[in-house]
Amino acid sequence: MTPVPIEVRNLAKRFGDVEAVAGVSFDARPGRVTGFLGPNGSGKTTTLRMLLGLVAPDAGTARVGGRAYRDLPEPARTVGAALEADGFHPGRTGRDHLRVYAAMLGLPDARVDEVLARTGLEAAAGRRVGGYSTGMRQRLNLATAILGDPAVLVLDEPTNGLDPEGIAWLRGFLREAATEGRTVLVASHVLAEAERLVDDVLIMHRGGLVAAAPLAELTGEANLETVFLDRIGALA
Amino acid sequence: MNRLIRAEMRRLLSTRLWRWGPLAALACGGGLTLLLVLIGPERFEPPMPGVETAAGVRIVLSAVGLTVLVPALFGALAVTSEYRHRTIGHTFLFAPKRYRVLAAKLAAYAAAGAVYGVLVAVAVAAALYAGAAARGVPVGVSFGEVAAMLSGQAAAMAAYTVIGVGFGALVRNQTATLIVLGGYLYMVEHALALVPGFNAVYPFLPGGATAALTESSLMREAAAAAGSAPTLLPPLLGAAVLLAYALAASLAAVTAPMRRDVT
Repeated sequence: MTPVPIEVRNLAKRFGDVEAVAGVSFDARPGRVTGFLGPNGSGKTTTLRMLLGLVAPDAGTARVGGRAYRDLPEPARTVGAALEADGFHPGRTGRDHLRVYAAMLGLPDARVDEVLARTGLEAAAGRRVGGYSTGMRQRLNLATAILGDPAVLVLDEPTNGLDPEGIAWLRGFLREAATEGRTVLVASHVLAEAERLVDDVLIMHRGGLVAAAPLAELTGEANLETVFLDRIGALA
Repeated sequence: MNRLIRAEMRRLLSTRLWRWGPLAALACGGGLTLLLVLIGPERFEPPMPGVETAAGVRIVLSAVGLTVLVPALFGALAVTSEYRHRTIGHTFLFAPKRYRVLAAKLAAYAAAGAVYGVLVAVAVAAALYAGAAARGVPVGVSFGEVAAMLSGQAAAMAAYTVIGVGFGALVRNQTATLIVLGGYLYMVEHALALVPGFNAVYPFLPGGATAALTESSLMREAAAAAGSAPTLLPPLLGAAVLLAYALAASLAAVTAPMRRDVT
């Protein structure tokens, strides 16, 4: 797998009076799982949406393999993104949802079956998404992200709605992706989960980055929760 | 581009919505025409020429123009449904050059609108001749002229589908789009046809241009009875006006979503 790093430089975005992201810079490296942590509303999702070209930044740049997302020749074959798992038409089956996006990449239906198997959705593939549980939607969201076999994975709260078995499965899935040399950027506010999953840690608070370091270096002898609460000023 | 069009066709055919299309074509085309022919325009209030006259046939065929609401609202769903169900995020991730997504939707929906238009035309023709035969009256124009008018209306259905796509892309909110577009096509425009001052404008509105395709409209005949009939454009010019609306809507669809944040 060709290594494709993520480089974010001085990204900023205001929504009206709210400064959602205030000049954020970081790197996410190939072969590592980078945890993008922070309280709800700290600007994680807006940062990811700017990285993916869905939200236009007021300032700064976000590059994947040296290019802006929308300038990548085949973006969905380079970056697999799973944002909030609610982007499905309830009347469409899981398989048909994937077939729509497979067609956008020119992929054969065989690839749809592969990602269904990879995410454990074969049995549910013929059912309408309206009847899916939150966990199944998360899996379908991930299946959509990996359709193009991307070298970069960008996931926003992927454990939301997953049961303990699903969380363990996802951990293995992301670890394997990193081992294969992929760049994995995972936003989460579940610290206990993150601690078991990530190699590098980014902590967002009120639109700014308050920590960026390898997990081991950051935590030392304390646990991630203590470090996190300290950095966001909740221990003062 | 072909990939994106194929994806849009899949998107369209993988929910149940499209199955209402043939039913709507049968009801709006065949059902409405059969009703009007069996009653007979001569028994309308005010009375109009019967189907044994050319004017009567035009009036009956023009009634189909009142059902353009169906393809317009169908087209409006192309973009609004993606925002409503929040699939637009995935879609723009897979094709971040957004104008390409909209161009593919326009192509797919124009094709779907044309198929709908052909179904309507066939249903109308069948109803016209069957209804006339059942009443034992001749049809007042040649089959060639009926075919020409119905081809125009089939094309109009495709044009309204494209207008719907463009309007939906501009507004994005599904409920607002359906209310505004539906309200305009169903009420506002017909009301304008009756206002003396707007007579000069009406031929250039989508409804007036559609009426020009059959050189007739029920609204105009009603207005004529009230002494304020707007003059319609010649059929080809009407078609050109309708095409211009479709092109304007396409332009709006392709340019509208370019810079908007998807949050």
